[in-house]
Amino acid sequence: MVGLITDWLKQPEKLAQELEQQKADEIPAWLQEKRQSALQKIQTMKAPSRRLESWRYTDVNRLIKDLDSFQSTEHHEKINATEKKDSVVIVIDESGYTGIGECPDWLTIQTFNNMSPGDWHEFDFDSESVVSLANDLLVQTGGLISIKKTSQPINIHIVYAFDEIDDWKYIRNQFKLAHGAEVNIIEQHQTGRINVINVYDLADHVVLNRSHDIRLNSSEQFISFNLFEIPENVTVTNMNQHIGGSLQHHTHAINFNKTGSKYTSGSINKSFDNNHITDIVNVNHSFKNNQSDVTHRSIAKDQSQIFNNAKALVAVGADQSEIEQDLKNVLLSPDAKIFSKPELEVYADEVVAAHGSTIGALDETALFYLRSRGINIDQARDIMIESFEQEAWVC
Amino acid sequence: MLKIENVFANAGDKEILKGLSLEVKPGEVHAIMGPNGAGKSTLGNLLAGMPYVQPQGGSVQYMGKDLLSLEPEERAAIGVFLAFQYPVEIPGVNNMYFLRTALNAQRKYRGEDAMDSAQFLRMVKQKIKDMNMRDDLLKRPVNVGFSGGEKKRNEVFQMGVLEPKLAILDETDSGLDIDALKIVADGVNQLRSADRSFIIITHYQRLLDYIEPDFVHVLADGKIVKSGDKNLALELEEQGYGWLNN
Repeated sequence: MVGLITDWLKQPEKLAQELEQQKADEIPAWLQEKRQSALQKIQTMKAPSRRLESWRYTDVNRLIKDLDSFQSTEHHEKINATEKKDSVVIVIDESGYTGIGECPDWLTIQTFNNMSPGDWHEFDFDSESVVSLANDLLVQTGGLISIKKTSQPINIHIVYAFDEIDDWKYIRNQFKLAHGAEVNIIEQHQTGRINVINVYDLADHVVLNRSHDIRLNSSEQFISFNLFEIPENVTVTNMNQHIGGSLQHHTHAINFNKTGSKYTSGSINKSFDNNHITDIVNVNHSFKNNQSDVTHRSIAKDQSQIFNNAKALVAVGADQSEIEQDLKNVLLSPDAKIFSKPELEVYADEVVAAHGSTIGALDETALFYLRSRGINIDQARDIMIESFEQEAWVC
Repeated sequence: MLKIENVFANAGDKEILKGLSLEVKPGEVHAIMGPNGAGKSTLGNLLAGMPYVQPQGGSVQYMGKDLLSLEPEERAAIGVFLAFQYPVEIPGVNNMYFLRTALNAQRKYRGEDAMDSAQFLRMVKQKIKDMNMRDDLLKRPVNVGFSGGEKKRNEVFQMGVLEPKLAILDETDSGLDIDALKIVADGVNQLRSADRSFIIITHYQRLLDYIEPDFVHVLADGKIVKSGDKNLALELEEQGYGWLNN
């Protein structure tokens, strides 16, 4: 673990100083205890490396890289929070949760200082998820976002907008949705080197449509761990767009904790230049009569790499589970690489499960069809890619 | 309009066209018939610029241009249209968007102004009405979930919108019931004009009951072995292609 602290996280002295400083800033005692616990655990682990399955297809040295070394001149168009009139916009920056104004009565936001320690979601991060354990250790911003049921579906727009872009920013958002709530959540990156844990703690009969829209310039990095705790008669639709970036690493963990629920996810992963994108979905069918439907469409160009992994674990007794994994991938240049891995581990007797994965180039006949109508080859490729992505658009 | 002289061409690594010659003048309709594997579709694909079909010799002049030196999209822009034997499905891209993109790409190549969406909508609605086709065709993704007949009708509709100078119909009649065949034939007949030519590739004489050709050619083993008027198609219907082996 020494390697992780000295090379990736921070120099030990600097880390100790920072933790001490945060104590002085009145970090609640319970959070200090959590951090100490995370520190003890992280010291027993090795730094992320290609020996780990979830980091095998990523250049882990990028975790410690000075972002200036990429010399990117690209800039994002600023997301204008005031234009999102139908949504409550939560901007996450150096000051924490900002830009909300007056909270509507259906929304309660508690930062770590006024959050009950019992609401803190405990994880059991292992070596594969050591970067998220680092979040437990160094989390700076976040809290509990509680949403009540309303008569109409509600919209929340989360924007990451940090002024300082070189150092990692550790964020934890814990969403707690009340019984029967219907919520649309858009999570969008504007600026910052982000390591975020999102917890979606859902009550029965919730409808959640979540959009994770992470478009990075060639020097930016984004790591996320997204947990969905799904009880009874819940519908979750999770649309992910992961485009560009020096490094994107996303893990989705879905736990079916009761019956009669459905989780649908679509991921569009697009990499070019020298981007590395990892997109992992782990679905745990621990109870019977739940449905998961995972679709990935990935496109890699130039020297970029993408790793797709969809895994479903169906426990003993989780009968009438329905699982579908559909991973399709397109390589647009000879040096691009995609590693695609659908996995089913089934211990129940009555299960409907299907999985598939393909990797290939754009269909030459379809390209010719478009060109034969007068569309030039670049535009024809764009149309083909747009067509390819469509099947992953789940909301 | 089109002059094919002693053309040789390969499909992949197989030699298919072996010295084919054909001349098509403005306004003429030529039917190409012949047994399976004779090279009929290869001829259509060669003229439209399919990369898999590579010319090995000879020349193709189209309206004074060396057709074989042009990219497929350039050929389309100067008026060459291929109605595919197996039209391709493009999920998620609706017909209207696809056709407008294609039409405006061709207009841009020719130095014409792009057609705005209102103009385009008016034009396609009129076309679809004139061609006696259902307008739900416009909203659906290109060829996705279409029956065989709908796909062929969509090809003819695209031809109507793009208004080519030389239309090549590659077995557009295959898989059509008699009503669909009439709709397709009506669409083609509406487009017949003094400056528009057709090459109709077909196995069967029945399409030619509805689209009267000026010339019928028999293509066998990569070249045209017999030409005649529409009566030749009737002879072929009676005799088949067995005589080619004699």
